[in-house]
Amino acid sequence: MFKKILIANRGEIAVRILRACRELGIQTVSVYSEVDRTSLHVRLADEAYLIGPAPSRESYLRIDKLMDVARKSGCDALHPGYGFLAENAALPRACAEAGITFIGPSAEAMEAMGSKTAGKQLARRAEVPTVPGTSEPIENPEEAQALAQNMGYPVLLKAIAGGGGKGMRVVPNDAAFASAWRDAASEALNAFGDQRVFLEKYLVGPRHIEIQILADAHGRCVSLGERECSVQRRHQKVVEEAPSPVVTPELRRKMGEAAVRLGRAGGYVNAGTVEFLVDANLNFYFLEVNTRLQVEHPVTEQVTGLDLVKLQIAIAAGHRLPFAWEAITPRGHAMEVRLYAEDPDNNFFPSPGKIISRHAPTGPGIRLDEGVYEGWTVPMDYDPLLSKLIAWGNSREETIARLRRALDEYTIMGIRTNVGLFRRILAEPEFLRGDIHTKWLDEVLARPRPAVEPPRPGTEEAALIAAALWHSTQSNAAAPGGTGAQEAPSRWKMEGRRRQMDHMP
Amino acid sequence: MKFEIQLTSAGGKRKHVVEVEQKNGASTISLDGHPVDADAIQIGPNVVSVMLGGQSFELHISRSVDGALKLRCGQHEFSAEIVDPRAWRGRKHGAVEVEGRQEILAPMPGKVVRVLVAMGDAVEAGQGLLVVEAMKMQNEILSPKSGKVERLLVKEGQAVNAGEVLAWVD
Repeated sequence: MFKKILIANRGEIAVRILRACRELGIQTVSVYSEVDRTSLHVRLADEAYLIGPAPSRESYLRIDKLMDVARKSGCDALHPGYGFLAENAALPRACAEAGITFIGPSAEAMEAMGSKTAGKQLARRAEVPTVPGTSEPIENPEEAQALAQNMGYPVLLKAIAGGGGKGMRVVPNDAAFASAWRDAASEALNAFGDQRVFLEKYLVGPRHIEIQILADAHGRCVSLGERECSVQRRHQKVVEEAPSPVVTPELRRKMGEAAVRLGRAGGYVNAGTVEFLVDANLNFYFLEVNTRLQVEHPVTEQVTGLDLVKLQIAIAAGHRLPFAWEAITPRGHAMEVRLYAEDPDNNFFPSPGKIISRHAPTGPGIRLDEGVYEGWTVPMDYDPLLSKLIAWGNSREETIARLRRALDEYTIMGIRTNVGLFRRILAEPEFLRGDIHTKWLDEVLARPRPAVEPPRPGTEEAALIAAALWHSTQSNAAAPGGTGAQEAPSRWKMEGRRRQMDHMP
Repeated sequence: MKFEIQLTSAGGKRKHVVEVEQKNGASTISLDGHPVDADAIQIGPNVVSVMLGGQSFELHISRSVDGALKLRCGQHEFSAEIVDPRAWRGRKHGAVEVEGRQEILAPMPGKVVRVLVAMGDAVEAGQGLLVVEAMKMQNEILSPKSGKVERLLVKEGQAVNAGEVLAWVD
């Protein structure tokens, strides 16, 4: 096993990896930029080294500096987390040159599976279904129509030279084909001077469902089941859960087998995720592979009881995956929400700043993966993810109830957060039925906002009393000479003030 | 202590008079002149617990950029503007110019790029005191009143948080 691991990341994921290392008795080395000196991943690490100024191009993305730290501190492995360099094949290459184990797939597997086009080619070879269509233009409209009939409607016509929706037509049925073809071709000709069009199956309200795979260096590749990530705001996942409300054991087996086939075909080793689109008839189509740990990995951990980060480390150290895991079935239900420092009233614009006070939820079925603390200033230089709040329970209903309860307990003052967005999602009847797709949240947000439940009687009075009490203790504490210190004010002074006050109107 | 508080909630704005006396750990509270069966205790730097006729409320409080208090109780948010009896004459409403010692607060997180005055300087209302840069924009912070710069709490180049006190003008 490794002695010392370099964590080439920051924020909640760096803290997550650090904790796994600590449980395994492995020393940790963090790196930080100038604005991250006080960040949690630096405070908790055994060793930490400054690698440059705030912009990530000058710090967290500098492979040379990472290698320098790894060598000087005597690390024998490196974990990239997600984001930053996690899917950059240059990092595993640099590690190999420096004689440091990269905790993740090989540079070759990353390249063969990571890019959308390369991944799609690999999927076709591994007989994993992709969105049906022709990537080549079709000259003859009759031939195209025959293909469309074969594929099943609706289909999408796209201009070869296309972009911006020009020369694009959704064809709902066979009767509409001929005119849609003419429109698409002439629009393409006008817009791009090229009338060639190709054909793709149009998925109506597809779900985003992904399969977590694990592969060891000894040829074993297993599926840990699916995660449903259909709740997205502008293609960014917002809520993730496992299992999916629509996946049957039969579909889980089929998707798992397809993902494992793909992993084998790409010579994949370590943890990876195969993303699929699933249509209303539960047909699934390959989307892309993420050759790293995912943000939403905790939901899989909660329903399988496995620690994915520890498994990643074990695989990188050359350990074998035990056989029994091939038969893994999810137990109970888990759901994650991503809490961001963003302003929901200002189009979810990042809202960095100082966390003045914070109360974190605890209790049954609640897990909080985060890299923040009270008094810390959320820097404006990085992704404003604050915390991942994960709940699990026996059923989807219990999990949602726990998540709602935990969201009510969670208080952060000083910065704006998107907590309200989750309260809204978790109350939507469609969400509660599991009736969601990748455009669902954007549609919900376009609707008028539902009225917030009025506060219970007495809340305003309580707020008035609290404001008066807090204000009086604050202004006493912030006496001249102190910089808002919390020390108790002199009783003599308070008494003197009180007497003066009695003479006021 | 007696306070006039303007509370803003989803239901609108309303002005109230709150009186809080704390003696030997117990509080006597009256609202708009009527005594209420309530108990309030500060349980953390920014948390106050209020018992109101047996109903338990917990409020998280912070000072917002404009100096008003922001209160949160569960998912409900309130904003409270307080007229301190010590500055009883210095009400914001109606007066041509504010009176009393004024705290100059940073309107947003950023960096102090220039300090335009020195401690003890006489300043006019509307005169620039400091320049704070945030999100690549420079904002001149103006004096809310004519008077003297009593304290300067920041230096050029210093990073500041929203709501942080930059200077006092009296």
